[in-house]
Formats: sequence, structure tokens, C-alpha cells
Amino acid sequence: MSSVTQIAPTPVAPAVTRPRSRKRLRKAGWNVLGLVVLAVMVFPVYWMVSTAFKPGHDILSYTPQWIPTHPVLSNFTDAIHQQFFWNAVKNSLIVTTVVVVLSLVLAFLAALALAKFSFYGRKPFIVVILGVQMVPLAALIIPLYILMSRVHQVDKLSGVIVMYLTFVLPFAVWTLRGFLLGVPKELEESAMVDGATRFGAFVRILLPLLGPGLVATSIFAFIQAWNEFIIAYVFLHTPEKQTLMVWLASFTTLRGTDWGPLMAGATLCSLPVIVFFVLVQRKIAFGLTAGAVKG
Amino acid sequence: MAEIEFVHVSKSYGDTPAVRDLNLKVGEGEFVVLVGPSGCGKTTALRMVAGLEEITEGEIRIGDRVVNELAPRDRDIAMVFQNYALYPHKTVYENLAFGLRMRKVPKDEQRRRVEEIARKLGLADMLNRRPSQLSGGQRQRVAMGRAIVREPKAFLMDEPLSNLDAKLRVQMRAEIARIQKALEVTTLYVTHDQVEAMTMGDRVAVMRDGILQQVDTPQRLYDLPANLFVASFVGSPPMNLFEADVESDGAQLVFGDTRLDLGARSLRDYKGRRVVVGIRPEEVREASGWDGAHVGGRVLLVEALGAEQLVHIEIAATPLERADLVDAAAQPPGPSLGVEELERSVTLLGRFDRHLLLTPGEAVEVAIDPRLLHFFDLETGAALPTADVPAVAGVAG
Repeated sequence: MSSVTQIAPTPVAPAVTRPRSRKRLRKAGWNVLGLVVLAVMVFPVYWMVSTAFKPGHDILSYTPQWIPTHPVLSNFTDAIHQQFFWNAVKNSLIVTTVVVVLSLVLAFLAALALAKFSFYGRKPFIVVILGVQMVPLAALIIPLYILMSRVHQVDKLSGVIVMYLTFVLPFAVWTLRGFLLGVPKELEESAMVDGATRFGAFVRILLPLLGPGLVATSIFAFIQAWNEFIIAYVFLHTPEKQTLMVWLASFTTLRGTDWGPLMAGATLCSLPVIVFFVLVQRKIAFGLTAGAVKG
Repeated sequence: MAEIEFVHVSKSYGDTPAVRDLNLKVGEGEFVVLVGPSGCGKTTALRMVAGLEEITEGEIRIGDRVVNELAPRDRDIAMVFQNYALYPHKTVYENLAFGLRMRKVPKDEQRRRVEEIARKLGLADMLNRRPSQLSGGQRQRVAMGRAIVREPKAFLMDEPLSNLDAKLRVQMRAEIARIQKALEVTTLYVTHDQVEAMTMGDRVAVMRDGILQQVDTPQRLYDLPANLFVASFVGSPPMNLFEADVESDGAQLVFGDTRLDLGARSLRDYKGRRVVVGIRPEEVREASGWDGAHVGGRVLLVEALGAEQLVHIEIAATPLERADLVDAAAQPPGPSLGVEELERSVTLLGRFDRHLLLTPGEAVEVAIDPRLLHFFDLETGAALPTADVPAVAGVAG
């Protein structure tokens, strides 16, 4: 006999553990699903990178080589020495930089107007911005092509830049407007009462608080402009004027696809996006306005 | 330091008037509270002084300058916002110094003044923190400090306490009043809380629907409300109001089965008419030992507050029908059960000594002293002049 005095009956074990184990099971199920999704997302990237390092016979062998056993760099040198590579790099950089900068400036000003000033037709305008994004791009390509050819912008980088802006801007304006609405108007007002001009309040108070929004928007614009294929493919005919994504397609010819250099080229093309993201992601500190207002 | 003066100031948004023909003068070093229910135009009035809202009509003067066209930064005023509006990306020090920096005050002077204010407000240890790392009360003090450090001509405060919890609010209420007295800075303070208004202001301006109702010292506002709205808005619990007939050449008041001799307060001009009668809860008394008129009633509810008790007493009288003339929040409780015969009854709220033992359902006699009654016009809601109290100036100041 135990000397411990029992003052309450021990709880009936199954009644407590059953719901808990069911919960744990459900959690495990979700985790497995998550891992599967992750694998599906990551595998193509892995396959691209690993193929880029494989010699030709390994790439085409019937038994898949999961890990490149004899890694080579020849695919990369082949890709870099492929015709028009440096042209394509230059074109892509020009297009992307201009689109990012222009979309930031224009979208910011537009969002400012939409968020802070009231004017006739503001509501319909906001709805149109949202509505425009619903139209599938493929449906617009032919009319846009005709339109752009009339103003002699086909086969020109400037034409592609304008095209990219048309679908980057609505999203950018919409996103930045959201960020702007998140900054209480009292902050600017307080700065103005404290002695700042309207512009001063804007630069000293509003702009620093919008950092995360500007970063998010620039990442979006960068990815859109850098990765875009269809428009560039349709609009840019001359090889010297093509962007990297169109250049990549040149590995697929009537005689077949040169997989090794293609994958090496694709790997090279994805690097700038990753580098850009790593550079700016630290600035995405959400909740920066915490503590501005209320207790 | 300077006076603030509204001269026939109106503001409308499109066709919607927010402030109508406001005339108000805040003297040098004076603490004036603008109070009223939400949407009464008090914040708009304040924001017009700050320059954050355009003035549709009239003039606002700060000191001897008309400031209508002046940018906020040129008005030399400081404002404390309801939500504090601290700059979240700046430290407490930078928040406090912002106004000085904008005004190009030399660096060491900035440091000296910020540190002095921080010490006074108990913020000295927090100068390097950001607003998100502060408690509600500390943020409130930073907001106050930011206004004080500039040494402006006037303070404008827009419900600065409404985001604090009840205890802190009472504490900060006294704190702000103390700071204002010490600095003797002209202050215009906006609140919807009449207790705040009464406790803090040198004078209180009551607004409703964009119209100034009455400006006076808190005590006079309480004792001599100019109209039904002020009577029902000022005081907590609010004034009891019901309708009664004036009979016998203005010498008697009749409600339910009660005939009350008005004595010196006769309403001669209102003989044969119906008026609104008001009585403060603390003037409703238990009748034992009172040789004046007794009103029979029944106790509905007793609310013990510790030091005293609030007693709801049902008496026979006509409830006030004109809900549009009184403060919506101070609506008297309706007839208890909606039973037909009870619709001719009124619930009087009495503030009684805690030693008086009353139980719900009990019959009780209430003494009503005609000298303590307030009378109002049933049509306009204006306070009625009686033989002993001449007309109250509605808007004075």
C-alpha cells in the first residue's frame, strides 16, 4: 500500500489523451502535406541546377542521375559563349531597371493621390485599377501589338518597357495605396503642426514608414520584368534586342534542345532575382508603424 | 502666449455644416474645454485653429494675427492628438526634438530642453526607446512632452486621454491641468467626456450639432444651464427631466397628482402652458422632515455606490417627449414595463445617503424644493427666466 493519501481520483486517461492524439495526428498530416508541396516547388529548381552541372551523356541517360557524379562547368561556358548572351544580359538589365524605377516613382505618386487626396472619380479609378488586373494578358497581346506597332514601338526595348509598366503599375499602385492607408494621417499632421512643410512631413515621416511597401513593390516589379517571356517574345524580333528569357528559348531549335547549356543559362538567369531579393528583403520589416498611435 | 479667438467661424463639408457661426475667445493662459457628443463639431473647431482644416467662413485669430491663411507650422501652436501620433521610426528623444529641429533650434539647446522635459515627465530613462516599446501612459506623456518642449503660444488637445484606462485617465487629467497651470499656456482642449470638461476647464464650452450652446465656468454651467441640452449633458448622473403644467397664474406647477407651489419662482409668463421641469439627482430628497410638497413614488432600483446610493424612483408625471432637445446619452429610462398606465410615470434618479435603507418595490415620499428646480421651454428647450433668476445668457464669452 502506498502511504500517499489520494485526495482526488486520477483522471481517466483515455478521455484526455484521445483528442490530443487526434490533434497531433492532424498536425502531422498537415506537415506531410507541406513537405510534399515543398518538394514539388523545390524539385524543378534542383533539377535545373543539377542538370547545369551534368555532362551531356548524364543528362540524356535513361536512368536519371539524381546527383551529378562528375560535375562539369562546360555547360556554363557554353551558355556564356552562346551568341547574343551579353546583349541579352544588357537588355534585361535595362528593361528591368527602368521598369523598377519608373513603376516605383509613378505608382508611389499615384498611390499618394489615391490615398491622401479626394478628387472627382477616385472610387471608379480604384475599381478600374483592380479590374484591369482581372483581364488575362494573353487576350491583350494582339490588340497591344497592333497598338504598339502604330506608334512604332515594336522591336524596341522602350515598347517592352511600356508594356511591362502597364501590368506592373496597377498592382504597384494598389499595394502602395494599402501601405499609405496604413500610416495614420495624424503623423503627417503632427509633423506639420510641429513645423514641417507638407513636403517636409512627407519626406521625414511618410517616406521612412513606407520603406517596406516600396521594397515589396520593387521586388514585384523586378520579378515581373526580369522573368517575363510572352511579351518580350512577341515584341522583340531582332536577336540583338532580345531579353534573357527570349535568349533562353534560343536553345530549343528545330534540331532539338541543348539541355545542358539551357539549364546553365536558366541558372544564371535566376541568380539576379535571388541576389536582388536577398539584398532588399531585410528592409521588409512589417509592423514598422507599431506604437505610432493608441495605447 | 496668446489669445485664441473664433469670430463668426463656420465650416461645412459640401452641404453638411460641421461648425456654425462659432464665436469664442480663449483668454491668455486660460484653459477652455470644448465639450459635446461625438459629431458636434468640436474637433473640427480645434483642427481649424491648428490649420489642418480650412475655414469656410469667419476668422480665427491667434494673438493679434488672423491665421486663416497661415500654414500650420507658422501658427506657433502645439497639438496633442487623440492617438498621440508619435513618429514610430524615431526614438523618444527624436520625437521630442522634432519640433525644435524643424525650427532650427541649435543642437545643444535642443538637447538641454528635451532632457529637461524628459526629466519633468519621468521619461529620462526612455529617451532611446521607440514608441512601440512604451506603455500607453508613457506614450501619452511623450505626446505631451512634444507639445510642451516647443514652448508654443497655445496648446491644442484633441481628446488626449480617451485612449487611457480609467485610472490612468484620472491621474493624467490632474497632471495635464497641473502642467497647464504651471506653464500658463493658453489651452483649447476637446473632449466628449463632461467629467473631464468639468474638472479641467477654467471655462467649458458646450457644443451640439456645430452650434455653441453655452460657455461658462463649470459651476455656473452646472447650476444655470442655458437650455435642455446643456442641462442633460452636464452632470453625471444626468438631470431628471419631466413635463408639468403651469397653473394658478404661474404660481403652481402640476404634474401627476402633485401640486407644487412655486413661491418666489413663479412662472407668470408661462401660465396655462406646459414646461419642462428639471431636478438634479442630489436635489431629490427623501421627504421625512420636509414641510413642503411631497411626491409619492415607488422605489424601482437601488444602486449602491459605496459612499452613496442611486435610487430610481417612479413618480406620476409626464415623461419628456422631445428627445431631440436633450443629450442622446442622457435619455431618461423609459416606463418600466411598457404597461399602459405606467406611461404616465417618470423615473426620478435620486442620489441618497447610504444610510437610508430602501428596497425595491417600497413606497417612498420624495421632497421637491421648488427653489432647486430648473425650468425649460417645451418648444425651444431654452431655460426659463423665473421671478428670482433672470434669463441665463446662452452664449457668453
